[in-house]
Order: sequence, then structure tokens, then C-alpha cells
Amino acid sequence: MNITQLPYIKEIYGFLGSDVMSGLVGLLIIAALVPLNVAALVLAERKVAGHIQLRPGPMEVGPHGILQTLIDAVKLLGKEMVTPGLTDKPLYWLSPIIVVAPAFVGFIPIPFSPLVQIKDVNVGFLLIFAFSSITIISILMGGWASNNKYSLIGAVRAVAQNVAYEIPLLLSVMPIVMMTNTFKLGEIAQAQSGLWFIFYQPIAAIIFFIATTAETNRAPFDLVEGESELVSGFHTEYTGMRFSLYFLAEYTNMVIAAALFTTFFLGGWYGPVLPGAVWFFAKTYFLLFVVMWMRWTYPRIRFDQLMNFAWKVLIPIALVNLFITAIVLKVI
Amino acid sequence: MLTAGQKKLLVELRSSLAEAVPEGQISESDYATKGYHLELRLDKGGVRRVAQIMLDKRFMLETVTAADFIDSFELVYLYSTYNQQQVRLLTRIRIPKDVQPFSVSAIFPAAIWLEREVYDFFGIRFQEHPDLKRIINPDDADYFPLLKNFGKTKFTDQIDDILC
Amino acid sequence: MLNIKTIDDATINQRVYQLNLGPQHPSTHGVMHLLLTLDGEVVVKIEPIIGYSHRGHEKMAENRIYEQYLPNPARMDYLSGMIFNHGYCMAVEKLCGIEVPRRAEYIRVITSELNRIASHFIGTMDYAMGLGAITPFLWGWDDRENILDLLEMISGSRLTYSYGRFGGVRNDITKEFYDGTRKFIERLRSRFWDYENLINQNVIFIKRSKDVGVITKEDALLYGVTGPTLRGSGVKYDVRKHEPYSVYPEFKFEIPTRKEGDCLARYQVRMAELEQSLNIIEQALDHLPPGPVRAKVPRFVTPPEGDCYVTFESARGAAGFYIVSDGTRVPYRIKVRAPSFSNLFVLTKICPGHFLADIVAIFGSIDVTVPEIDR
Repeated sequence: MNITQLPYIKEIYGFLGSDVMSGLVGLLIIAALVPLNVAALVLAERKVAGHIQLRPGPMEVGPHGILQTLIDAVKLLGKEMVTPGLTDKPLYWLSPIIVVAPAFVGFIPIPFSPLVQIKDVNVGFLLIFAFSSITIISILMGGWASNNKYSLIGAVRAVAQNVAYEIPLLLSVMPIVMMTNTFKLGEIAQAQSGLWFIFYQPIAAIIFFIATTAETNRAPFDLVEGESELVSGFHTEYTGMRFSLYFLAEYTNMVIAAALFTTFFLGGWYGPVLPGAVWFFAKTYFLLFVVMWMRWTYPRIRFDQLMNFAWKVLIPIALVNLFITAIVLKVI
Repeated sequence: MLTAGQKKLLVELRSSLAEAVPEGQISESDYATKGYHLELRLDKGGVRRVAQIMLDKRFMLETVTAADFIDSFELVYLYSTYNQQQVRLLTRIRIPKDVQPFSVSAIFPAAIWLEREVYDFFGIRFQEHPDLKRIINPDDADYFPLLKNFGKTKFTDQIDDILC
Repeated sequence: MLNIKTIDDATINQRVYQLNLGPQHPSTHGVMHLLLTLDGEVVVKIEPIIGYSHRGHEKMAENRIYEQYLPNPARMDYLSGMIFNHGYCMAVEKLCGIEVPRRAEYIRVITSELNRIASHFIGTMDYAMGLGAITPFLWGWDDRENILDLLEMISGSRLTYSYGRFGGVRNDITKEFYDGTRKFIERLRSRFWDYENLINQNVIFIKRSKDVGVITKEDALLYGVTGPTLRGSGVKYDVRKHEPYSVYPEFKFEIPTRKEGDCLARYQVRMAELEQSLNIIEQALDHLPPGPVRAKVPRFVTPPEGDCYVTFESARGAAGFYIVSDGTRVPYRIKVRAPSFSNLFVLTKICPGHFLADIVAIFGSIDVTVPEIDR
């Protein structure tokens, strides 16, 4: 499987001038894209939840409730940021900021289309995964600094869950890397010009999907913020803008996860008639819809069952998949 | 209109109770107006013996309650069957104030909370109760609400007398 | 599940911490305070603290005449308000020897069973919500809305009913109610498939409910547990069959029972009871006799001296009224046997050894209504 460099990526960078210039443009794109995505997603979640629950969801603000997120953002900005007294102040302040940074960084290597990719970092997806581990630290910081037993339980659960599910995540992507011989996301997407990888690696796709649902703490793995048990888990004590930063990070992580799935398994930007970016976003949002659908259908998994599932089921299957892929690649 | 099975059970019950608690007076009641078949009136004690007999005969402790009769309390225990012929027994014991009856919670754990409630509302302390403290009223309350000399009852002249 | 008998006391005293589940909490059914002593995520000791909704109903009874007390029973267990209301009327009728016309008895049965269905929707779907499945909760409320609309047609209130009177019910049912109930029965029968598909067969739901919070038969009886909680442990005890009252002997219905005694068994018992209640309502509507709906009773009822105990099956278990009368218009003592009171105490026995997430599940599966405990 030999990949050739597409010529026009270099032309784009050459056109923009130096790397600094392209970096600035990239940052602007992220700064514009992330809040828009989150806004659309929050609204989509509420509408999807509403329709699954036989009710229309937000309908008041704007036609069919389209402007709901805007008003929510304004409301959150206006809320008083209450800081509980006995919290560990430096950690308490730092935690929401740190949780947002990896979300922004994760957007850099994602290939939205052959022309739109901020930088095709040569350790593309490793960058994303490395930074997503930083979110775990910030969750632990937030839970510990809140001086609240519920938050602490939530944070401890989050750490265990995220650490456990990172392994099947990486193991399920390794076959793709072996098949395409590169870490660059742009090249992985290009390699699917023929047949999408989901047909070559269906098991890996399923494991990846489950693992990212667990990594982003979405249902049915959302006992970290299990509303019925822990009030709000690690972000119980955060109000106003700090809470919205956590929210932003969660939804952005979801978008990055869906985008990664699209890149690895669903052929990236390939599609018949429409331009590549449109197809990419269509596939990403379809995946996000499936994630939301799962949230409102399934109950929560209990913590020990979650751990059992990760260590005793997902990792062996991912390892077996990896071995089989290696053998097949060697033979063929 | 008791069935044959009920009559048999009642006869057995009466004989066991008469044997275990000879000082009690057992009388049959009309189920249609009273809701219970047998009434056992105790005088000084014997609630634990009755409870043991009831447990052996596979009855269930339905409720423990009390009523304040100004110079004495009347403790009432209701036992009922659950998987055999339907029979209900009401045990009452008149105790003067300041007398502490024994707790049946060693035999029926359901009584732990039921007796706590009786203590909470009437002030009747039960001996050998594992955890006798207030349950429904505030923990630092110094009153016993269901006594007749507390609050709005006929005996305190504070009763709302629009229709009463 | 941890076998906590093997941890000795010294270790426990250094490792445990206390967590308050409640009184304000998203998943407790009312103002319920559970004081948990946890070792990591395993519960070592649980102590329910009640009394936050105490309103003094039993004291109120000593200050009102029997008719004035009619609104009170529905406020105790507000989810089976109709059943409690009728039960209180039954108790006073038993004491005074009033006979209720047959049409009134049939109407009482129809409204009681409708109320039971409405209450079971909350009982089952609140349990599902405690596990994290929020969608069936809202679907259940949609069906419950139909029942509330029906009952509002004849009684005027949606939740706390004072529809029963001594000697019958307040007014007759209308044609709108009759047709609406028929349509409702059809609609609900077709909706069972939805619930079956969504949660009853859901793998995660079953995994979290199976073998969680097992109440053995002996424990259930020693602790005085009744209702679906008891029927989930294998004891076929239902007041409507064991000690029939009103016109229940004329209807054919079954008592669903399960042997396992875990949360899943209790949930399945409640879902099966929904269907049995629909059968009862259908039979009652088919054979509704004509006649008056209220017997002639004096304006102010004066029962003779003595006491009386009446028990009936509310949605939560065997409830009862114990009335002591001294021959006047004002009751001397009214004691309400609340089934949730005994059902709650069994938690202290079965919870130790479970995880924190299971406590919410067990508490939801027992289906208590806190105001009924506190009265």
C-alpha cells in the first residue's frame, strides 16, 4: 500500500507564506470552529434527547429553538462564579483551563478535507491521544480541589476509567497504522480512496467507538458524572463560566473522537458528489448523532462492570485483532 | 363466615396463647366490624412471649401502636398471617405511665423502627431496644406529640370547635 | 460484592468515611436522607434518617371530625392517593356499619386500579432513571398523564384525591370517563412492547439489576415487608386476594410473583402488575352495575366506641388504618400503617456489601414514598 504525497497541500502552505502565518490562520480557524461546533452540538443534544423522549425539546428561543445555545452562553456568562471556601484555590482555578487546552490542540491534525488541515503533524494521532491524557489530570485536579466527597469519588472513577480505556483505544488503531505505515492523519485518510477501512477492520472500528465513548465520559460510561448518584461528579462545585469550560471540553472531545473515527475508518473526506469537507462533517455529525442516541437509550454501567469490560473483554479482543492483522499483512 | 381452615387456626392459636400467656384474656371479635379475629388483652407483661408464639406460628408483625388514655397508655400489637388462612390477632396491654415494656425487636426486627416511632410520639421507653432514639420528630425535641395534653386535642381546650 | 465480615473492626475504623446521600439529591424519591458509611466504594453500613416530611397527620386526626379528615389520607402516599382515600372511607364504614352500594364499589375499584397503574409507572421508571436510563422515565410520565387526565375528569384533582365519601363516592362517572378509560386501556396495551424493547430486555439494565439487593423470604417477613417488594422475593401475599375487601372477589386476576428477590425481580413484578390492573379495570367496566353511588349516611358520622383495623393493598404494600373511636364525632386516635415504613427498614439489612451505585438502584427498586413514611 504505497501512499503518494498530494501536491497541493504543499502549495497551500507555500501560498500562505511562512509557517507562522499558517499557524496563525490555523489558530483562527480553531477559535472559530470549536465554539460553533459546541453550540451546534449542545442544541442537537437537547433536540435529540427531546425527540427520543416524546417531547419537542427547546422551542421557545428562535424558530424551533435554534438560538437556545446562544442564550445559554449569555446566561452562563452572567452567572456568579461561586468559589467554595475550603477548596484548594490554585488547582481549582487551573483545572478548567487545563481541560480545555487539549481540546483545542486536538483540532490541529484533523484532515477535514485535502485542502483544509491546519497542520499535518507527522505524529498526528499520537499528538491527539497524548494531549487527551492531560484531560485526565485536570479532572483529577478538579475533583480533588473541590473539597467535596462526591467530586472526589467522581474524579477517582474518571481516572480509573480513562486510564483503562486508553489501552483498547490505541490497540484498536494500531492495525490501521500497520496497514498504512504512517501516523499522519492526512495520509491515513488518503489511503481510503479505494475501500474504507471499516470494511477491513470492523472489530477495530467497534472497539474504537466504544473506547472513545468511554474516554469522553459519555453514556453508557458516564458514571463519572452520574447524575443519579453523584449529583454531578467532579464538576459539582463549578458554576458559571468554569462549568461551561468543562462542557466545552467535553463536546469538543466528542467532536475530535468522531472526527478520528471518520478519518480512520469511514474514509475521511471521500464521497461522491459534494466537496470533501462537507462529507467529512456529515460523517462526523452522523457519528455524534449515534453517540447521543446511545446516551438516551442505555442506562449506566456500574463501575466494576466497566473495569471488567475494559480489561477482560476489550483488551484481549484488540490484541487478537492486532495479531491477526500483523499475520495477514506479513502473508499478503 | 369463617372457613374451616380459619376456625382450625383460631382454635390452635387460642390454645397456644392460653398455654404461653395464661394471664391474658382472649376473646373472639367480629371480623366484619373490627377487622381482627382474636383479641388478647394483657395486663402486666408477656408481649415477648406472645411475639415468640406468633413467630412460631408464622405470623407477621403488622404494626405496633399506642393510644394515650390520660392516666395510662394502651400498647397495641397487630399480627396477621401472610401465607395461610387469613387470621389477625390484636394484642393490647394497658400500661400505666412511666412503666417500660420490653421490646420485641429481638424476635421481630420490624419492631425496631415501629417501637422507635411509639417512643418518639408517646415517650414510652422500651427495655432492651437496640437503638431507642427519635425517628420522625427532630432529634432535639423535648416533647412527645401524640400525648393528649399536647397541642390541639379535646383535652387541652384548644380544639378547633367549628364542627367538633 | 465484598464479604465484609472478614474485615476486622480496626481496619474499618481507619478506612471508612461517611457520605450523605440526601436529603437533597436527584435520585431519592422525596426528602430522604441515607447516611452511608463507605469503604472505598463498598457500603459498610447504611442508616436511613427520616422525618423531613413530617406533617403530623396522626395528630391532626385528633382535632378534626371524620369528614374533615378526608383530604388527609391522600396526602400521605400521594402516589396512591385514591387508594388511601378509599381505604380510610372503608375503615370508617366498617366501624359504623355503613353499607356501600355496588356501583360505588365498582367505581372505587376502577379508580384504585387506575391509581395503581399510575403509581407503578413511577415506581418502575424512577428505578430505571436511577440507573441512568432517562428516556423510559419520560415515556412513563406520558402514559401517566393520560391517567391523571382521566381521574381529573371525575374527581377534580390530579394527584391528591378526595373522591371517596363515607358510603360511596362523591359523584358518578361520566360517559367521557368511561370512553376515555376504554381508549386508555387499548393504548397502554400497545405500549407495553415499547417498554419491553427499550429497557426490559436491555443488557446493561439486566446486568445492573440481577442479583443486586437480594431480599430473602425470611428477612422480608421478619421485617414486615409487603407489596411488590415481598412478591419479588417469592411470597404470594396480596391483600386483595388474601383478605379480600370491596368487590375484589368478583374479579379474576393473578398475583405476579418472582423467586429471586433481586431488583430485577421487583421491577418485573411491578411491570406484570400493570397488566393485571388493566384486566381488573376492563372487567369492572364490563360489569358496571347501575344504581346509586352513595349510601345515605348522617351528615356527621358518629361511630360507636371501640376500635377497628382495616387493611388494603396500596401500590407499595399492605397499608392499613387503625381507628380508635370514643363515640364522638372526633376520632380518638388514627394510626396509619404505611407500607414504605417497613419496606425502608429492610435496607439496613440488605445494603451492606454493595457498591455505591447499587444503593441507588436498590433504593429505587424498593419504591418508597417518603411522605408516607413520615406522615
